[in-house]
Amino acid sequence: MDRRQFLKLLGLTPLFSNLLLREALAADKSLVAIAEDRDYSQATIKALNAIGGMRRFVKPGNVVVVKPNIGWDRSPAQAANTHPLVVRAVVSEALRAGARKVKVFDRPCNDPRRCYVNSGIEAALRGMKGVDLKHIEEERFKPVRLNGRTLRDWELYDEALSADVFINVPVAKHHGLTGLTLGLKNIMGVMGGNRGSVHRHIDSALADINAVLKSHLTVVDATRILTAHGPQGGDPRDVKVLNKVIASSDIVAADAVATTLFGLKPEAISTTVAAYRRGLGEMKMAGIRILRV
Amino acid sequence: MKPGKIPSARISQLLFLLLFLVLFIQTEYRGSDRIAIAVNSFFRADPLVGLSYFLAEKSYLVLLLPALLLALATLVLGRFFCGWICPLGTILDLVTGKIRKTAPLKFLQGRVKYWLLFPLLFAALFNVNLAGLLDPIAILVRALTFSFYPLFGDTVRQGWVGLYRVLGEGRDVLSPGYGFLRDHLLPFRETFYPLAFLSFSLFLFIVFLERYETRLWCRRLCPLGTLLGLLARFSPIRRSPATLCPDCGDCRSTCPTSFDQDLLQQEECLRCMSCRLKCRFGRVSFEFRGFRDRTPYLPERRVLLGSLVAGFFLARLFRFRYPSAQAAVLRPPGVRDEDDFLKKCVRCGECMKVCLRSVLYPAVFQAGVEGLYTPVVVPRLGYCEYNCTLCGQVCPTGAIPDLPVEVKKREVIGKAVLDRNHCLPLAKGINCIVCEEHCPIPRKAIRSEEVQSVDASGRPFILRKPYVVDDLCNGCGICEFVCPLEGKSGIEVFAVKDRTPLSTADPEGSSPY
Repeated sequence: MDRRQFLKLLGLTPLFSNLLLREALAADKSLVAIAEDRDYSQATIKALNAIGGMRRFVKPGNVVVVKPNIGWDRSPAQAANTHPLVVRAVVSEALRAGARKVKVFDRPCNDPRRCYVNSGIEAALRGMKGVDLKHIEEERFKPVRLNGRTLRDWELYDEALSADVFINVPVAKHHGLTGLTLGLKNIMGVMGGNRGSVHRHIDSALADINAVLKSHLTVVDATRILTAHGPQGGDPRDVKVLNKVIASSDIVAADAVATTLFGLKPEAISTTVAAYRRGLGEMKMAGIRILRV
Repeated sequence: MKPGKIPSARISQLLFLLLFLVLFIQTEYRGSDRIAIAVNSFFRADPLVGLSYFLAEKSYLVLLLPALLLALATLVLGRFFCGWICPLGTILDLVTGKIRKTAPLKFLQGRVKYWLLFPLLFAALFNVNLAGLLDPIAILVRALTFSFYPLFGDTVRQGWVGLYRVLGEGRDVLSPGYGFLRDHLLPFRETFYPLAFLSFSLFLFIVFLERYETRLWCRRLCPLGTLLGLLARFSPIRRSPATLCPDCGDCRSTCPTSFDQDLLQQEECLRCMSCRLKCRFGRVSFEFRGFRDRTPYLPERRVLLGSLVAGFFLARLFRFRYPSAQAAVLRPPGVRDEDDFLKKCVRCGECMKVCLRSVLYPAVFQAGVEGLYTPVVVPRLGYCEYNCTLCGQVCPTGAIPDLPVEVKKREVIGKAVLDRNHCLPLAKGINCIVCEEHCPIPRKAIRSEEVQSVDASGRPFILRKPYVVDDLCNGCGICEFVCPLEGKSGIEVFAVKDRTPLSTADPEGSSPY
């Protein structure tokens, strides 16, 4: 191979690398568990156990960040925030697996105090040892070089970056701009700065963030889903109770499967598509193994 | 009096000062939708607030019953409020010993205090309630709310941030301690206010006056003290002896207020009992004398007439408002009528202290001079939290009504208006919709239509163009607050005259809220 050929090959490689990589890993399908139970703690634990249990992710002594959606001053029944029982179950599983510390936080859109209280999450975690439900502190956002397609750099939260395990616990709900908001979009809660400004290229921007800040485990709360007027909702008629919890180590696959619960194809959600194209996970149903428990 | 013994009046003063500070700190969201008790208790027991409300509104308000009770108590006991309760008086008593005295100011003696009190009361009669501008409790609350508390909060917070710069995440070791401070003592959010310097200066000026006389403010200027003094003249409880004793005269230096003349001035006696406690001969007593030898005071005719005219001018000459500023005068939720609001608002600053998202700020000149210190909503700096009713709960006079949350959500602050020249989708064809996302109305007062568009490089895409549904917009301002544009927002809330609450009927079926 002469130099010219080599350079050509080098130039063409990125075009095919994703494809090659996926071919190589085809045998290893993404595993997604869907658990159904009226007891949301049970549903969460069943989903976790189906994909190998929390011990697969959390090792004794680890510092774990659990990032629910606590974005809105809404009650659990309104389905705008992650259900407190799901959060509590994830946190206690992490503790049982030997986590030294579990930190729970979000950067809410409404008043943080009201969101923490009204979401029911503050009450659900009260009294648990080794758990910190924390308010965001502006100074802790660190500029991080992303070198993404849309975002060159952005401020991300230090504790999310430094955690041994980052567990993404979104609620599945409608969103006016992105169609749905799931795990990939839930990552916005650790973004600093003027988050609204990424809305212009939100799918690509979210892929940029998720490529750097990897969710080791994604647990999608679909115990009840908000089918319209998201991401805040407020109208009980928009809420559908499914009693389901989805868990996967592949955030894109988790989002893709959650999308189907709304009667939509994963391809309909541009955030998922952008992340899939970046190789952040599997979106095609053919590449996902679903375990129903 | 035995040396080292603390007089009862001082103990009472300190307890009330403590109570005042505790209530001030409690005037904040601490995890519950309702605030059980707040610093408004002091205003509800404030006869100046009560009287000016009564004059302005020409009606009586049950909330202000304590003020009536305090007025009645003053009729009997004299100005005990000033000597036993008033937190501003207590602060003056605590610092006055440290301030070296010079000669009293001659021009402040005499009728100046009536020239302050009566124009305020007459202005209220002419529908502008200005009493709070010079009410001592309001002066103190404003100095705390706008100056000291933010300064304190910011200083502690900066220290905490500084620790982070040094220790990084290691700072977390200390976070339980800081968390306790933040949850129980500090303001949750550091907010800076306009008029912070003025509020601070007014307070400092009152302290500065102590260099001329002890309790100069209380004796010579304070409109609340003057009002109480008028009532105290009727008090049947008299000091005996009424004059300085020829063989001693110690009372001249003991008494914080009245005894620079030979005769005790009944309307200035604070009932602090210092003279009784300190009398070497045990001569001084306060006795019930019956209502016989009262010396009621009616200010001279020229003071009354002059004040009437002054009050009239105060109420009427400052009404001008620039239309552009007027359009930005958004009042707190539940305030439907501007004129009525100006009658009731005492400008105490409590609503601004308690506001969850720091959307309320004291008006500087937006609302004209007559609106100085009244609360206005500034949505670019915060927004009105949909489920929050705190401002109505702490308002001492009901100028902001205390509404159930379901009712408050429908109260109209203003209406949002999109700016086609700024809004990203409308002006530049770039997707955004942050406003729609944040709109708290379940049926969405901001919606968007999908249109086929092409981007700068010619690729087709679906553009979401926002529009406002006026009938659903309550003007909470979250859209203006979160608009990601820098500087001017692409959507702004403007004042509207017709603030009829949003209808409960839903065009699409059942209740939209």
